[in-house]
Amino acid sequence: MRRHPNQLRGSAIWIAVGAVALVVVNILVATGSLDSYYTSVLGVVGINIILTTSLNLINGITGQLSIGHAGFMAVGAYTAGILSMHFQTPLVVNILAAFAAAAIVGVLIGLPTLRLRGDYLAIATLGFGEIIRVVIQNLKITGGAFGLIGIEWIDNFFYIEIVAIVSVIIIWRIVNSAPGRALVAIREDEIAAETMGINTTAYKVMAFAIGSAFAGVAGALFAHRMAFISPSDFTFLKSIDVLVMVVLGGLGSLTGAIISAVSLSLLPEFLRVIDEWRMVIYPLLLVVVMLFRPQGLLGTKEVHFGAISAALQRLKSLFVKGEEHLEPASDLPAIATREADGVNTDEPILEVRGLSIYFGGLKAVSDLNMTLQRGALHGLIGPNGAGKTTVFNMITGLHPPSEGEILFEGKRIDGKPPHAVTAAGIARTFQNIRLFKDLTVLDNVKTAFHLSTGYGVGSALAYTPSYVAKERWIDSEARRLLEILNLQDRSMELARNLPYGEQRRLEIARALATRPSLLLLDEPAAGMNPQETADLMDLIRRIRDEFDLTILLIEHDMSLVMQLCERITVLDYGMTIFEGTPDEVKRNPRVIEAYLGEEAG
Amino acid sequence: MSRVVALVLLCLVVALFALLRKYRAVVVSNTAFKYSYYPASALLVILAVNFLLVALGADRLFFVQQAVYGLSLGSVYALIALGYTMVYGVIKLINFAHGDIYMVGAYAGYYAVTALNLSFVPALVVAMAVSAVTGVLVERIAYKPLRDSPRITLLITAIGMSLLLENLGQKVFTSTPRTYPSMFTGSYNVFGVSVDLSRIIVFVVTILLMLALQYFVTYTKPGRAMRAVSQDRDAARLMGIDIDRVIAATFAVGSALAGAAGVLVGIVFPQIRPTMGVMPGLKAFVAAVIGGIGIIPGAMLGGMIIGVSENLVTAYISSSWRDAIAFGFLILILLAKPTGILGKHTREKV
Repeated sequence: MRRHPNQLRGSAIWIAVGAVALVVVNILVATGSLDSYYTSVLGVVGINIILTTSLNLINGITGQLSIGHAGFMAVGAYTAGILSMHFQTPLVVNILAAFAAAAIVGVLIGLPTLRLRGDYLAIATLGFGEIIRVVIQNLKITGGAFGLIGIEWIDNFFYIEIVAIVSVIIIWRIVNSAPGRALVAIREDEIAAETMGINTTAYKVMAFAIGSAFAGVAGALFAHRMAFISPSDFTFLKSIDVLVMVVLGGLGSLTGAIISAVSLSLLPEFLRVIDEWRMVIYPLLLVVVMLFRPQGLLGTKEVHFGAISAALQRLKSLFVKGEEHLEPASDLPAIATREADGVNTDEPILEVRGLSIYFGGLKAVSDLNMTLQRGALHGLIGPNGAGKTTVFNMITGLHPPSEGEILFEGKRIDGKPPHAVTAAGIARTFQNIRLFKDLTVLDNVKTAFHLSTGYGVGSALAYTPSYVAKERWIDSEARRLLEILNLQDRSMELARNLPYGEQRRLEIARALATRPSLLLLDEPAAGMNPQETADLMDLIRRIRDEFDLTILLIEHDMSLVMQLCERITVLDYGMTIFEGTPDEVKRNPRVIEAYLGEEAG
Repeated sequence: MSRVVALVLLCLVVALFALLRKYRAVVVSNTAFKYSYYPASALLVILAVNFLLVALGADRLFFVQQAVYGLSLGSVYALIALGYTMVYGVIKLINFAHGDIYMVGAYAGYYAVTALNLSFVPALVVAMAVSAVTGVLVERIAYKPLRDSPRITLLITAIGMSLLLENLGQKVFTSTPRTYPSMFTGSYNVFGVSVDLSRIIVFVVTILLMLALQYFVTYTKPGRAMRAVSQDRDAARLMGIDIDRVIAATFAVGSALAGAAGVLVGIVFPQIRPTMGVMPGLKAFVAAVIGGIGIIPGAMLGGMIIGVSENLVTAYISSSWRDAIAFGFLILILLAKPTGILGKHTREKV
């Protein structure tokens, strides 16, 4: 499998270093060469690795800034502590219970708060983290401000090590599967992710719950290691500790998180030499790193992700000869539009009735009526500010209309969330391009296959044959789409590095990957030169025929619209001033007055 | 006081409050009372509840006492919150180090009083000056080089600066708490409620500082520049405004207010320690968010709400739940109206 150039660097080295370090540490611990103090410090390292990777899933991978991680750790710690003290349950049970309890609290808190974004989300998580602590402080069963004393003491490096490794592998598998792609898409551009058919709310809550659950696991280990916990172990400062590790490692880099968790857990031990100034040096170091290497100590995410996957790929190819060149499994259908079961092909594919939307007092679109026949190539034109993009936003569910109905294949879709509209079979591109800029061209398209992945987190974790087959199918279909749009040579390029015209084509490829029957193109020719525009026209005709599409497009390039479209709707000030064939539009006096001007007539 | 009189007074206060609400636009828009609107409203609400309690024959003293205490605590929160909100308005940063600037102010005031033998007002000025300088230094050293980096980087740096100031504080001032000498003793009896002089001073000084801030932001050139930068930094730059200076000025003014809060808290709760800024800092920030971050009157409003409700929770429920109240309010506000009580709704352009 080809990788983005960044992704190959240093792969083997990291794996080797990690493996050797782990083996050496295990030998040292097993032979008793390290005294119990250092073994115990290694326990802290393990717990911090779990905390850091789990917070990275939320903050780095999904891009949802959470600064209340200590709260979930507390939930896990107290769950394990209470079970251990009152029911004398074994460690494994306590860990699982802590996982479940923190996951449940994670969902409960995530559902309302994840509607918020950026700073506001951060503050809300901070608030919840503090509230969890205050609640624990006031409950009887948790021992109030004094905490729990007498939890079974288990400070065993090997247990912690095993739990840490399992946690990291689970998180790593999630990140490197279709659900993981959905999470990264949310980080890159939430609105675009939603129009790729990703239920962003559900996925954010999922990431939040999984991250919280593993924080709970870390809490359980912590409780057993300390044998004594109190609310003051889980303050805001603890959350900040974890956040700092994630950021230093590099947001979005799992291995970065691990390396920074290891170094930052060990660093204070070395700084003990200059103990007196330790607490001054630590934050100073943090500020200095931020000032001179804001992307984190270990650089960008590609280095590390790619490293592990590439090494595994290579490892696999050693054992499974020739597997790399398998053709896509034949029982999976090649890309095509949905089966038209029970859909009456005579009936219009899209029917818009009396559609209006108000922004405050402004009526941006009023009483729009439009009917699209199956297979049509329909244009939507009008002067700037006429409400064209707003119409797209209403059809795709981004702006729920204030009045009116939208029927797609005979069913009401107005009021549905964007991801559901995409699932129904409507895809779109954006006027101000919304690609996942820091992903490769190929990954942009693969992300858009979200709706046809058909496997869950479970099979991604277990690496089942169906998962492998599906992933291979997605890869080959994505490449086929790139070929159709003549982007095959760019597949490993980061989307942000493409020239304008290619970015627009990539958006079309991405939209096609959701397997729509209706495609909405918002100014596809903007910024293109005449040759590119001519090519684009051919392309639009071709994809309509090949993918059996109906296309509605907004465009200011009149030659394109007039040559391409079979029918045109003209908007002005949110109202339909005319609808007809290109020739009728060109001759219509109202259209000429409002938009085309004399020359075009 | 008879119940009948109380009922009459209650009606009067409610009428006054209604009047204030009715002419809110006038009060808030162009008079010098803009930022006094919320403290005044808070006072009227407390008076109303007071008379209501009397009319019902309930124990009002306890409530009013606690509420008035809450007002002085709220004043401190409000003063700190102003710095958060102003800085957020200008560079969209949650300046986590702001709570520690307040700590620096408290210590500066303490040494001004004890070592330099200054009286209250000069000590207040010294504390404000020291805090302003600290704030500007923090901005210059840590935030300015990162002005165009991702927000998270800036946020982490702010957290780092906060920890740095705290731990430096531990080194310089030692972790032993210091005690402010008592400067204002005595209390007044108003309608049977005894109000400490120190708390009156806190409230009055806060109001005066608000008025000064109001004047600065509304009528002076740097104030206007500040408002311009908070609306659109690039456009302001194109209009010839020196962005660096405006940002520095914002930090200076916000930090000075936090420094003043540090001294004011010292005369009411005399014990100060290097970690004193952590919780009030967080809560003041919450106050700013509740009122609507980036909105100056919002900081006042949020500060008063948190101060009063914290005191009431302590009085009626338990002091151990006190810390939950600010964050509970925060969650409610964020879920109901994420941009805060006075915030405006914005929609992302697609």
